[in-house]
Amino acid sequence: MEPTYRNGGVNFCWRLKIFFSEPKRYDVVTVRFAGSKVMLLKRVVARESEQVEFRNGKLFIDGQKIEEPYVRYPCNWNLPPRRVEKDYIYVVGDNRSMPIDNHYFGQTSKKRIIGVPLW
Amino acid sequence: MVKTKYILVGVLVVIIGIAVVFYFFPNEEKKVMKQFNFLSEWVAKSQDEAPFTMLQKIKNIGTLFDEHCELKAPSQSLSGSYARQEISTYAGSARSYFSQLDLKFYDFHIVFPEKGIANVTLTARLTGRSTAGEQVDETRELECVLKKIENKWLFSSIEIVEVLKR
Repeated sequence: MEPTYRNGGVNFCWRLKIFFSEPKRYDVVTVRFAGSKVMLLKRVVARESEQVEFRNGKLFIDGQKIEEPYVRYPCNWNLPPRRVEKDYIYVVGDNRSMPIDNHYFGQTSKKRIIGVPLW
Repeated sequence: MVKTKYILVGVLVVIIGIAVVFYFFPNEEKKVMKQFNFLSEWVAKSQDEAPFTMLQKIKNIGTLFDEHCELKAPSQSLSGSYARQEISTYAGSARSYFSQLDLKFYDFHIVFPEKGIANVTLTARLTGRSTAGEQVDETRELECVLKKIENKWLFSSIEIVEVLKR
């Protein structure tokens, strides 16, 4: 999630936030990756039934180009369009300087979202 | 005074008895976890591993699996039912890519949906160094099914949970 969050930095997860409202586009969320201890910080870019696509590093949702001011490093990703399944959200990290195959991103069950970072 | 002494000895005997029962007759949960400990031990590889140790470990890995085991690892393009021998061969070839390897399991959640079947959800962390000198550190959530066959818990299914689907 660099440069928004420093690699190896410490943060707290605010779990109550998702009890009151569903994560929206651009929200940074904590995704439970494995067990109860391994978490990922990712940004929500699309919600269920929306179509996600990357063209030359630019994000397109339902065919519309989305501005992403938080992406600071050059990115050349290409990903054919795919639709977000029911009860899923699509998350991507802010650091897209690496090849697309080396980045953990994609759609995840809403049940895996456990909160948002406190700061 | 004598009475207190007898009570203390009695309590001590009971404690030792309980400890012996727990040690020599572990519950099913512990027996299941023991299989993961064996897997961890036999997958692990040190830089100076002797060829005989390597062969022994690969052979041992096979003994932890049912005759046919379902493997699902979409990100590794590994999917399907594999015979015990195939798993040993696969483990051997996978280990050969590494000069040093360590596999640890955490966060066990074990349920017994019926007699002789254990469903285990856990976190696996694989660390090491490839023969090309590349550092490896991968963590994944696994869903495993073990079946009790001839009083031994054997892996009959291992699935890597796909948390993020592209």
